[in-house]
Formats: sequence, C-alpha cells, structure tokens
Amino acid sequence: MEIRARSRKVQPHQRGRVKQLEAEAEELRLQRKRLKAENQTLETLKKLRTSMNKQCTDEEVMQMEEDSEDSQLLQLMARHTQLTDLLQAHHLIGGYDIIKTRQGKGVCVSVATNYEGVYLDTYNLEIDLKPKLRISRHNIPPFIPLNSLTEQCNLQSHFRVFLDTLSCHLNAFTGRKQQLKLVKEQQKSVEVMESNVLCSLLVLMLTVSKGKPLVLCTLEYADHTSCLPTRVHFECEDKQLPDSPEWKKNCSLLIKTPVHKALMTMKTMGHIV
Amino acid sequence: MDESIKRTMQRLVRRIPNQLLKPTLDKWGRLTAAQKQSLDFTQPKWALTERLLALCEENEWTAKHIIELEMIYVIDNPNQGMWYAFQLMDPEDDAASVELAQFKEQFKSHLRELVKHVSVKIKKHTDEAVWIRIAWGDGFTRPNHLKPTYVVHHLQTPYVFVSSLTSKQKPLLSQALVLSTRYNVIKDANLSGRKLTAIRDLLMRQYQQVFPTKFPSPLTEKNETVSNPCIEKEQSGAAANRLQMACEAFGDGELPQLQSAVYKLETKFKDPTNKTMTEQEEPFKCVIKFASTNLLESLKQCATSGIASTPVTPLLSSIPLKGRNYFVITDNGPGPTTQMHTSQK
Repeated sequence: MEIRARSRKVQPHQRGRVKQLEAEAEELRLQRKRLKAENQTLETLKKLRTSMNKQCTDEEVMQMEEDSEDSQLLQLMARHTQLTDLLQAHHLIGGYDIIKTRQGKGVCVSVATNYEGVYLDTYNLEIDLKPKLRISRHNIPPFIPLNSLTEQCNLQSHFRVFLDTLSCHLNAFTGRKQQLKLVKEQQKSVEVMESNVLCSLLVLMLTVSKGKPLVLCTLEYADHTSCLPTRVHFECEDKQLPDSPEWKKNCSLLIKTPVHKALMTMKTMGHIV
Repeated sequence: MDESIKRTMQRLVRRIPNQLLKPTLDKWGRLTAAQKQSLDFTQPKWALTERLLALCEENEWTAKHIIELEMIYVIDNPNQGMWYAFQLMDPEDDAASVELAQFKEQFKSHLRELVKHVSVKIKKHTDEAVWIRIAWGDGFTRPNHLKPTYVVHHLQTPYVFVSSLTSKQKPLLSQALVLSTRYNVIKDANLSGRKLTAIRDLLMRQYQQVFPTKFPSPLTEKNETVSNPCIEKEQSGAAANRLQMACEAFGDGELPQLQSAVYKLETKFKDPTNKTMTEQEEPFKCVIKFASTNLLESLKQCATSGIASTPVTPLLSSIPLKGRNYFVITDNGPGPTTQMHTSQK
C-alpha cells in the first residue's frame, strides 16, 4: 500500500518530466531544421558567389536557382557580400577612386572618409595633368589647408604622399565632427558651449550632480590630423575638483578616448549626470 | 530718454515685418509677460511702435538693449542688404588656433585704437559664425547706431562677409580684422550678393558640387517629351552629356542664389569688317552684366538646354569655381574673350 501510494505520488512528477523532455526534443528538432535551412542558404550563396566570381552569365545563375522562390533575394545577398569584400580589399590596399577625365588630360580623385566604420562625406579633387599637376576644382572646405599641403608634400613628385596626408586631415576632421554630433545626440545633460568649423576646439559644460558647481571642460585638438585632443582642461568653482584623483582620471580618459565614449564612461562611473 | 535711442528703436521696429515682430521680441526676452500681453500685434505698425517706445521708457532700455534686439533680427534674417566677401591671406602660424574669446578681445582693442568713438558688439551664432556689429563715430561724434556695419566671420576660415561699409571705414575694419585673425593681408574677394547664405555657401563649398566619377550619381533629368522615339534616342545621349557638363560646372541641387555677374572688358576690339574700330590703339572698354534672381541656376539651364555651348566657357564656370562674380578681362587675362560672344544671350 505504501509503495503504491509512493509510486502514485511519483507518477505525476514523472509525467511532467516526460512532457518537458518532449518539448525540448521538439525544440531541438526545430533548431536542426533552422540550421539546416541556414546551411543550405549559405551553400547556395557560396555557389552563387563562385559563379559570380567566375563571371558566369546571369542566365546560368538564374537557371540554377529557378526552383528556389527566394532566388532573387539570394542573388542580391550574394552580390552584397561580393561588393563588401571588394570594398574592403580596395581599402586594404589603400585605394583612392581615381578616374581619367577629359580624354586623359586630367584625373578626378575621390577621398572617402569614415569614422568607426561609418562612411561619412566623400571629397573630390579634379586635377590637371599637363603641363604640370594642378588642382583645378575641388569641394574641400576652406579651413583644410589644401594649398600648404600641396607645397609641403610636393604634389608634383609625391602625389601619393599628398593624397595620404590630405586623407588624414579629412578623416580626422570628419571624425571630430562626427564625435561632436554623437555627443549632442547621446549626452543630453552635456551642453556644448563652444565649437568651431574645424572642430578643433570644444568647450563642454558638465554637470557633476544637482546642486554642485558645474565643470567647464575645454578640449583642444592642436593636431589637426587626429581625432583625439592634445589638451584637456577643467574649470570649476570648486578649485579642488580638477585636482581630485577622479577628475585626474577623467582628464587622461578624455585625452586617450574619443570624447563621446569618454563622456559615456564618465556617466557610468557616476562622475557626471 | 535719449533721443538717439528712441530713433534707433523707431527705425528698427519699422524695419521688422509685422509677422516677424512677435517672434523677434519673444527671442529678445526683455518684455515682461504682462507687457507682452498688452501688445496687440493686429494693430497698425505706427501704433505698435508708439507702444514699444512707451515700454522703452518704462523699462529704461539703453542702447545696449536695442542693439541686442537688432542683432537678433539681423542674424535671423541675414539675406538683406548687400553683402561683400573679403579674403584673408598669408596666415601666421598661429592663425589656425585663434579662439573666440581671444578674437573678441583683440578685435575690439585694435578697432578702438584706430577709432575713438566706436561701439562694437560681437555675438557667436549657433552655426559657428561670429557676428560683429560696429556703430561708427569719429573724433567728435558719438557712434551712429542708425547705420551700423555688420561683419560675419567663421574662425579658422579665410573669409569675411561685410555689409554696409563705407570706403572711409574699410581700411580701419581691414586692419582690425587682419590683426585679430592673425593674417597678414585682406583683399576684396570680388563676390557680392543680396544673400549672405549664398555667398557663404559658394566660398565655403557648402553646396552640392558634381564630379566625374566611375559610378555617376543619377542626376535628375527634366527632359521635355519628344514624340518621335528615334529622335529621342538620338538626342538623349547628347542631352545627358550636356546635363552632366552643366552640373559639373555649376553644381546640382539647390544652387547658391547670386543676383548678378559683372565682366569688365578691357580688350581690343576685334572685327575684320570694322577697320576703324579694330585699328584703335586703346582697348574697347565695356561692361557686361548678367542679372537674374538665381544667376547660377539660369546659367546652368542655358548649358543644359543647349543655349550656351558645352563644355561651359571658363568665363561662366569661373563664377562658382573661383567664387567670384566680378571679373576684369584684359587681352592677356583669363580665358579667350571671343568665347564670350557665344555664350551671350
């Protein structure tokens, strides 16, 4: 009687366990199905890529994939991966987009800028080749010292060096501009008091906490080819604050990390609101 | 109350259009809530002016307050009056690091050294432009607030935009600007227009320029419908080419609105059929002026439609390329002068 009673007690427990296991099995089966499908997609993509690389005609590819209802989507995906790979390769070899203009009498160079993996503005230069290299038209803003760069780098003999230096200036400028944009977007409690067109000076008003005096933070970017400041300075009514170990740490943080990230860290540490 | 303050206020209120009066006064923020309530903006301008003058007395506003109001109005409505561009040249090493506080102090002190009675107010606008308002006086008279000069400068750029400046004041302003921006020379940039935003965009290259690239961006075509498909096919290539050339010369999208371009010709008269004129020793002087509400757009249309030949003559493409709309053309000057006739309308 006792055993029977005990087994009766156990039974509902066991039944529950079985159900649980069954559900788990079902889930795993679904997962297997998903992975299989995924694997198949990847395989098809791979096939498509290979055929694309071999420059097969579009028709062949179409025939191969006619049965698949997502063929168009797959093709686009394959094309996308191919293009991203090409782009990456292009940038790996330090490529600029250069094309011939006016039947070879000139060239047009495009310098793309990016910051943290995001493409920003593209700048262009139209250059006459004869009688000597001369920039005839461009859309580079006037605060980038284009003329002195052409002299410094010797445009005639070191064209590549010139482009690299220019690209450096442009990337740093757009990077700083992007940082400022991100600060404005992400940090609602931080007030941008001053900035300039070159984004080489940034004055921020930081709130330590309610009721405490505000901190005026000045960032100077004297190196125009860098996204990081060369000098960070705090001003506060509480004279001791800038010398406190916390704020000394903040200072070195701001020197070493892009301003929007540094502010984020300072916020998580609770140094600013 | 000072009579001159009253006159300045009166003039200013008269200048501000009725629909802008309320927002401008709100931004100024010198009126109490009750005073704002008491203003009836549906009243005629003279009645409003009277009321504001009474408030002026009541609140004991000084010239400083009126200047504030004027600057708010002018900064928000910059496309008025005539603006002239100047270019700073030959920068010192520290020109790139001039910052606002330093510039303000230097500019004021340099100008005060040159002119005894001068009122300078400097304000930084949100778009990073520094706005300077100068009311000039001289050794004997107090600053005249009725005819102030406005100067707009973006620090770290070599351009300065000026409105209402007399030839007597020009050297004074030039010297103060050169010293405070750490440049050595300032010269006329030969660009002027009614719209400050247009001449700024042109010089700062803030409009959409078009370049020949491997992957041409789809330029919006506005082709007229041609009934015959063969003609269409035959002409579409040439039309697309003309459009591309016109866009490369003048830009795409919204072009900076210039009102005129002036060419001063100082070239010899050339016409084999007209001997008397051709044999003249002296150059045949004449001035050609193109005028439009949006000159660059008009010129672009001329090139796109085929009225002007493509590639666009350097005389016309120099306007956006060099950022100028005043040219003096001599016989050994820029570009062959004969091309001028083909592009004339």
